[in-house]
Order: sequence, then C-alpha cells, then structure tokens
Amino acid sequence: MEKEIVKTDVLCIGAGIAGLMAGIRASELGAKVVIIDKSENPIRSGCGGLGNDHFHCYIPEVHGPDIEPYIDEFHHSQLGSLRNRDFIRTWMERSFDMVKLWDSWGIPMKYNGKWEFAGHALPGKPLTWLHYAGLNQKKILVREAKKRGACIEGRLTGYELLRDEEGKIAGAIAVHNKEPKAVVFEAPAVILGTGVTSRLWPAPTPACLFNTRLSPANTGDGRAMAYRAGAELVSMELEVIRCGPKYLSRAGKASFIGVCRDVDGKPVGPFVTKPDIKYGDPIVDVYQGIFAEHARQGKGPIYMDCKGITDEEHGYMVHWMANEGLRSWMDEMKKEGLDFRENSFEFWTYELFPRGGILYNEMAETSLSGLYAAGDEFFSGISGAAVFGWIAGENAAGYVRNVSSASLYEVEQYVGEGVGFLNDILARQNGAEWLESNVALQQLMNDYCGTLRSEKTLTAGLLYLRRLKDKVHKTLMARNQHELMRCIEVLNLVDLGELVMMGALERKESRGEHRRSDYPFTNRLLEKLLAIRMKDGHPALEWKGV
Amino acid sequence: MPPIIDTNICNGCGKCVQVCPCDVFYQGKKKETPIVKNSYECWHYAACVMECPVPGAIELRIPLSHMILYK
Repeated sequence: MEKEIVKTDVLCIGAGIAGLMAGIRASELGAKVVIIDKSENPIRSGCGGLGNDHFHCYIPEVHGPDIEPYIDEFHHSQLGSLRNRDFIRTWMERSFDMVKLWDSWGIPMKYNGKWEFAGHALPGKPLTWLHYAGLNQKKILVREAKKRGACIEGRLTGYELLRDEEGKIAGAIAVHNKEPKAVVFEAPAVILGTGVTSRLWPAPTPACLFNTRLSPANTGDGRAMAYRAGAELVSMELEVIRCGPKYLSRAGKASFIGVCRDVDGKPVGPFVTKPDIKYGDPIVDVYQGIFAEHARQGKGPIYMDCKGITDEEHGYMVHWMANEGLRSWMDEMKKEGLDFRENSFEFWTYELFPRGGILYNEMAETSLSGLYAAGDEFFSGISGAAVFGWIAGENAAGYVRNVSSASLYEVEQYVGEGVGFLNDILARQNGAEWLESNVALQQLMNDYCGTLRSEKTLTAGLLYLRRLKDKVHKTLMARNQHELMRCIEVLNLVDLGELVMMGALERKESRGEHRRSDYPFTNRLLEKLLAIRMKDGHPALEWKGV
Repeated sequence: MPPIIDTNICNGCGKCVQVCPCDVFYQGKKKETPIVKNSYECWHYAACVMECPVPGAIELRIPLSHMILYK
C-alpha cells in the first residue's frame, strides 16, 4: 500500500450523526476539519442512514421548567443509568438547541406544526421522545458540513490512532477500501464517532452476519482504536438486547402501534389491550427478551398485532416507520401483499450488543488529550450523537488553537509498524479469511459469553478467544482492499470480545442482560463502572464510581 | 441474493455504489453498470434503491433466510 499524508486540525472518524455534528461545529469555529467514512458518500451510511423517528429531548414548554423530574425519568429509560446526573443534565439541557438547529436546517422536527411526543414510555409516565421525520437527516447534515468547509473523505476505515511522545493525540491511520493506499492523518485532535458494535454475537440468522438490527458496517472500530491507544473503556460487560421483526432484523420497534400477543391472542404484557398511538406496546421496551424466552419455554411465537387501528392511525404509523429506516421491511410487506390491518407479525429477541464503550464526559473528552468521542461510542442514540458530537466539535476546535501541531516524525515508527502489519495481511497467499474469523468469534461469544454466564464458561471462553486472537493476528489474509477493511473490523471485534469476556468474569453479580449463574443476584455494592484500559500491552481492569 | 440491477435500464451513474454503507457493489469504470460483488454483506437497507435516479433500475430482493414471519 502507498502512504498518503494529510494534515488537518480535527479528524472526525465516522460520518454519522456524531461525526457530522462535530465536523459542522469545529468548522464553523474556524478549525480545518476532515471527516472520514467507510462509505464513498455518507448520505445513507450508519444507523441513521435511512432515517430515525425518535429524538430524546427535553423541551421546557412541553415538560415544564424544572428539568429534575425529567432527569429522574431518563434514568429509567432505555438509555438511562450508567451515566452520572451531570452528564445527563448537560445532554438534556442542550438537546432542545439541537432540535431547533435541525429544524432550521430542514429536518422536520415538528408534526403538524407541533412537538409530537410518543413511544418509548409507560402509560401515565412523561413522554420524553420527540417524534421527528429524519428520513433525509444524513443528507442534510452532510450538506451543512460541506457548506462550512469540512472535507468529507469516503471509503476510508480508521485503523489506528497515533500518539506523540507526551502521549497526546497526533493523528490516525486510515485505510482505503478500493485503492491500495493508507492515509496517515496528522491531526492534533481526533473525534471518534464510529457508532455501535454489531457483529460480535451471531444474528438471528447466524449464516447471514450482516442481518443486524443496526448497521453491520459499525464494528466498534472507535472503541477498539481508543483502547489500543490507551484510552479508558467502561461497562463493556453490560450488554443490552433489543427486539423487532423476525427474520429481517431491523430497529424501529417503538414505531409499531400494536399489541404483542401470544398465539391465542392474549396480550403478553400488562400495559395495553388494544393499539395505542401514544405508547405502542411498552413490553417491547421493558422486556425485550420475552420473545426468545417464550419460545424457549415452548409457549410458541409472539406476534405484534396492529389489527384494530383506524385508517388514520395506520397512516400515522407508516409515516413514522418510513422515517425510521423500515423502508425495505415495508417494501417487502407490500410485495408479499401484507397489511397491518389484516396480518400480525412475529417479533423476536435479537442478539446482544455492548452498550458500554469509550468513557467520554460532558465535554466529550476521553481520558487521552486530544481524543474526543460522541454518540454511540458509548450507547446514546440519536440525540446523544447530536449533542455530544456538537460539544466534541466545539471543544476540539478550542483545543487545537492552544496545542502545537503534532509531528508525524515523532510517530513514524508506529506508522511503519501499523502499515507493515496490514501489508503482511495483504501479502499472505493462504490463511484465515475475515469471514471465518468473524464466525469463529461469534461462536465463542455465543457459547461462552452469551445470555447466561459463569466463571467456568467465561474462563474457558477467554482461553479459546485468546487462542483465536493469536491465530487471527498471525494468519489473517486479504485479497484486496475491501477484504482488508473487513479484516480490520474483525481485528477490532476480537479485541473487544476479549474485553467483554474479561469484564463479564470480573463482574460477580447479575445486572440487566449480564446474567451469571454463579452470582444470580444484583449486588448493590457493584453499582459502579468497570473500566478497562491497556497497560503494558495488556488489558487492566479497575472499578470506579459512575 | 440482493440487490438486482437491470442492466438494460441502469445508466451507470454509480449512485448505488457511492451510498452503499457495506461496499456491496463494484464499478470498474465510470458509466459502467455496477456489479453486485459482495451480496452476503448486504444489510437490505435499500439505500441503493432509495438513491437510484432511474425507476426500476435496481431492486432489493429479500432472501428467503430473511423472510418476514406473519399470520
């Protein structure tokens, strides 16, 4: 591979909502910004590529002037806990500014001229999710970033962060997925916005690795790069599960206006008995494992049943679904001649995915000078990406004004080692392919670090996973740049798999989806964050307060 | 496996290639009809269908493994 060198003030890795918002803000504050993405043109990439329809936000004219009760409710939401109150307060205080900004840019944040709140809530509890029409949000954010002079470079996968002798961020290496080249960015500030970690556990269709609820192109690259550079990750052992239609996996369960019923037509949750346009069926939020559990107990499938909705309610529902990335699912329904008013659809519990990740604070700072992170680098959804992307851009632009430009001369050795390792992968004629490596990892994660864990299974799993990691490092091969991108993803996933298993072994209790058969109770003494960082080339664990 | 490009209609603009988040397509030269190279890496998200400027030039076929279960 050839090496190309690009100098910039701020490098955003990932052109999702977080990366674009960061790029927009840093550019308008005068920084020179480059935003890179795996896709050639990021208008449809990432988890928000075909839109979203729920934005978590606090609007004083809707929720009242006192934000504190709202923050209490937030703790119980699907994004709550694991974050301290100050962080949540900053997030929510800034959220309405982002809503107004997006609306002014042409992303429709109002419905029929009003703030419309619905979904992801229990009947009688405050509604905290704003329904918005985000179908073209990425197109608009790309346009706004370009308008402010940010440079968007496609087909680049972030591979490794670079640090100077003092430990400050000096830039990053990225790899092109078509042309045989590595791009070395000399940048004093890097903002990570690579999103969620898909493809660590097997999808509901194990033979089809890319049938994931969220973007399968998002493989925890930011988390893995940050970890290898010495930044702190937290809560990697606390996974979450989600649910949705079976078998074509897709996010967007909260846009369905129906009732989850068993085969006899009995509602499986206590919340609703008929379709409710404000709340949907909250069972899909509060007990997402019910679908797999029901089947495991031999009770048969559970269906999302929207029958009984009026034509007007049906129009309302499909409007939001079309904005929530459910386009291909609805197209398929149409082709099959299906109708929400006549058919009901089996729902299923999807695979685990890590909610924890890079520990970034309310300034979007990580534990490394010059490294910022936002959005789903620590699971936070659309509004978290918007708010902390914006904050990251603001602070990175301020940081680069006061820091002398990093010199690649100091990090030449690391660039050489990094690119050399990738060239070895490209040079191998025989070896492990990325696909078999990804499958091997998923098998281990499923069998030894799945929905029921114990010291015995995790200890065995770690032994096997480290053996796999060693083999992957020594034998991985790529025939072209596209395969090299997939190899980088697998290397990242293997690193993260090890951290998840180590964290799961250390957390001797059950909490949420982290279930230990040898510690089947929740231990309030462990209401703490489990941090992992690399020390002397190895992962080191440390407990700390939220 | 998906997606399917109608070579008689496709104008070779490459929009599908550019917007695909999973690098499913390959286009050797500009104006050439792209080929579906990495079909098993398709997310079935329909970004390609959405952005194609020629109606009917690209269709997303949902594979049997992903079939919608209903009653």
